[in-house]
Amino acid sequence: MRGMPRPLRDRRGARWATAVVAVLAIGVLSQSPATAWSDDEVRLPPVTRQTLANGLRVVVAQTSELPLVEMTVMVGAGAAQDPPGQEGLATLTAATLTRGAGRLGAEALAEAIDALGGTLSAVGGTDATVVSAEFLAEDFVRGLELLRLVLREPRFEKDEVRRARDEQLAGLVAALEEPSAIAERCFAAFLYGDYPYGRPQDGRRESVERLGRRDVVRFWNAYYRPNNVILVLVGDVAPGEAVARISEAFGSWEPDPRAVPSRVGPPPPVAATRVLLVDMPEATQAQIRVGAPALGRNAPELLAAQVANTMLGGGFSSRLIEELRVKRSLTYGASSGFAARLTGGDFRLATFSKVPTAVETLELLRSTTEDFRTRPLDPKAVAKAKAYLRGQFPLRVETPDALAARLAEIEFFGLPENDLETFRGRVAAVTPAVASAAAARWIPPPDRQAIVVVGPASALRAPLEARYGPVRVVTPAACEQLALAALSGPQPAGSASVPPGR
Amino acid sequence: MVVRTVAALLLVLAGPCAAAPAIVLPVEGRTLANGLRVLVHPDRSAPVVASYVFFRVGSRNEQVPRTGKAHLFEHMMFNGGKRFGPGVFDDLIEGSGGSTNGYTTRDLTAYVNAFPREALETVLALEADRMGFLAITPANLEQERGIVMEERRLRIDNDVGGTMYEQLYLHAYARSPYRWNPVGFMADLALITLEDARRFFTTYYAPNNAVLVLAGDLDPGDAFRRVERAFGGIRRQPAPPPVSAEEPAQEGERRIVVRRRAELPALLAGWKTVRATDPDRPALDVLAQLLAGGESARLVRDLVREHELVTTVDADLRWGIDPELFTLYAQARPGRRLEDILGRLDAVLARYAAEPVPPAELAVAKRQLRAEFVKGLKTVSGKANQLGFFECVFGSYEALFGLLEQWEAVSGEDVRRVAATYLAPAQRTLVLLEPLPASSTTVQGSR
Repeated sequence: MRGMPRPLRDRRGARWATAVVAVLAIGVLSQSPATAWSDDEVRLPPVTRQTLANGLRVVVAQTSELPLVEMTVMVGAGAAQDPPGQEGLATLTAATLTRGAGRLGAEALAEAIDALGGTLSAVGGTDATVVSAEFLAEDFVRGLELLRLVLREPRFEKDEVRRARDEQLAGLVAALEEPSAIAERCFAAFLYGDYPYGRPQDGRRESVERLGRRDVVRFWNAYYRPNNVILVLVGDVAPGEAVARISEAFGSWEPDPRAVPSRVGPPPPVAATRVLLVDMPEATQAQIRVGAPALGRNAPELLAAQVANTMLGGGFSSRLIEELRVKRSLTYGASSGFAARLTGGDFRLATFSKVPTAVETLELLRSTTEDFRTRPLDPKAVAKAKAYLRGQFPLRVETPDALAARLAEIEFFGLPENDLETFRGRVAAVTPAVASAAAARWIPPPDRQAIVVVGPASALRAPLEARYGPVRVVTPAACEQLALAALSGPQPAGSASVPPGR
Repeated sequence: MVVRTVAALLLVLAGPCAAAPAIVLPVEGRTLANGLRVLVHPDRSAPVVASYVFFRVGSRNEQVPRTGKAHLFEHMMFNGGKRFGPGVFDDLIEGSGGSTNGYTTRDLTAYVNAFPREALETVLALEADRMGFLAITPANLEQERGIVMEERRLRIDNDVGGTMYEQLYLHAYARSPYRWNPVGFMADLALITLEDARRFFTTYYAPNNAVLVLAGDLDPGDAFRRVERAFGGIRRQPAPPPVSAEEPAQEGERRIVVRRRAELPALLAGWKTVRATDPDRPALDVLAQLLAGGESARLVRDLVREHELVTTVDADLRWGIDPELFTLYAQARPGRRLEDILGRLDAVLARYAAEPVPPAELAVAKRQLRAEFVKGLKTVSGKANQLGFFECVFGSYEALFGLLEQWEAVSGEDVRRVAATYLAPAQRTLVLLEPLPASSTTVQGSR
């Protein structure tokens, strides 16, 4: 709320990196809805699911604690559907969606939303675009009408597309001054190469510069169709009324069988460990990321892998925190996570340390992880991790928007309808042996990892090369080029744009 | 979430002519014999509880050259007491299905847990053990000193925005202890001694200087009994020394130029305003909302849409025990000049200071504030945090429930008056970020 000081100084750096992973991973720790708990008495509201004749999937749940209504819309297309050379198009389409619709120009639409004290925004992801709306319950009908307008009748005025594009370009530049944001972008590009998850979702500067109204309209027309859309409503509205109003608003939306995109196969594994050094000459602290492709959201082993991950770097009494932070004060935060997505996913480690101890920290991060991966897990520690996941579960569906997001994930990833109801029971059933097997299989060994270090090359290059052989060195801005070329192994030293010795 | 047996929120119509209902949470407050203030808010909608322990100590209680002490001490609080040894705190809470954390601001330090209701007894025992009997050891201090230095590198030294905010406060204030960032100066972090930590603990971590808030699936009577049992034996201490934050008059604008490697120019302006309990604060809240509270807010419309000068613009008034800053932040688009942005900022502010804001615009801002207020009450943690914050900063948790009425009462003329009174150009401190392409980083300033 306005005025409350931001809690700037969390004791836990771990939170920071965990949050980064969770954002990428629609559904890393996903759990879904239904009627009653067998296990403890957390109860979720009844969920109504209905598919309209035009293919629109509608999910509704009533909650009455707060006079709010949340609507989460998932359109099944994102950066993965950007045509070659038009990277950033899904993001631009989403950004322009809310800049004028129906009879309302951009300013009139913004005023209409603000006048209700509501929010309505659209964000392009990799596999999907999410449109989120939040209004006071008393404004449900007016809020739904605004949502209908932006999805079905966006104006995409030429000047608004240009404005959105210029803002996207400025955002690409602004992101180049944040070390952790640079680490995330460069890690994705270095890990996945030209696979869709390696593409910067908001594009490259040269691709975004060329985008215009025609491209945006084409993308919207192709993918924004009811048979490619999930609409979830959670809030203080009676389910019958909600479904009726939604049907009224979207029943006549015309479907197109070609709107549902075909999906690529899983990403290729990392064949041999490779290192990318992103040069930030003035940095006094190095950001570190390590990882490899792993499980997708639908993989049956994901839950056991998450139990193991909680022990390694998911919880706050984790092994990584113990070794890197508590015992040696090398860092303020260290975490690990499975970013599980539609066509695949990855396992990643994240930490940071002052430049003089950066390489030591990287080595300890890797050796701690390898030790964890290769030893049978202590049954007591497994029990603790399970208690943690089970205990935190109610907090993950506590708010209407969180519940709406979980319900949307169930639909989008095709999970069982009772995924949320069964979550605690499924966690309880994970044995130490199963968790150990998942860790051994899905946490990458030291010789099959992509490693990204962001910091001054003048100090870090030599020690990194002494350990790993040739290291690829790039500027932060050059990371967007990595996604263009398939990566097969270590590049020759000095192959990219920064001259050695800076 | 969910199927709620007890309405967690009471919506009460406030008075005959009020358009918007007042929002009140059921809260019971008691003070133990040792001075510990306890607030309990029952919300049975999910079998979880949030516990927030607030100590009325933040970086405003520090002096140079021992800045950063309150925050460093917050870190030390997780490393064991008398009954529970090192490493046990996190293990026990997480092993009970709970999560735990802490944060420090200029005004207060908070310790936060969210856990299944069955863990209440464990959490209270852990909190009482460290409040009464923290183990202050050389190992504990040295471990956290290194970690906090990494935290400073992360949040301030290697973060453009963090650097700008630190510079703003350092130059806006001459005398108030709000000057320094709660993370502290790097040199001070190196100086803090075990004796400093011990004295700090005795002075500030006393039950009579703390507020314990419990929100969630609990029975207030039972909760008070458990709290009494766990905390009742901790001894009261003399009241901490008062803080003097009075500022000398500012004789003209202060400009600071930060030159460091960055991609885009940016500016951060700050004006010293009022403390949270001041009668002018609600009008300043409304003004911040009017300026940058939504896509149709005046600064957003002017700087982002009309003149396409900035990537983002933000206005904020922080609520403090002592007079806080009203801040404006704007990041330039590539190729845009800070002077042009400043010109537009001045023009927009001048208009607010010259004429009362139109009623329709005012109504939108108030509605947004109301919606924001409701959204702040979504989680048990959020509610516990706000109740404790208001108790510490506003003097009573009940002030939380008076916010809507305060905002509702703000008139167009009030907004004009506070804009003219507090946001005068001569009273501002301005931090200008001028990006350097090469590899030198400097801060220049004149006061």
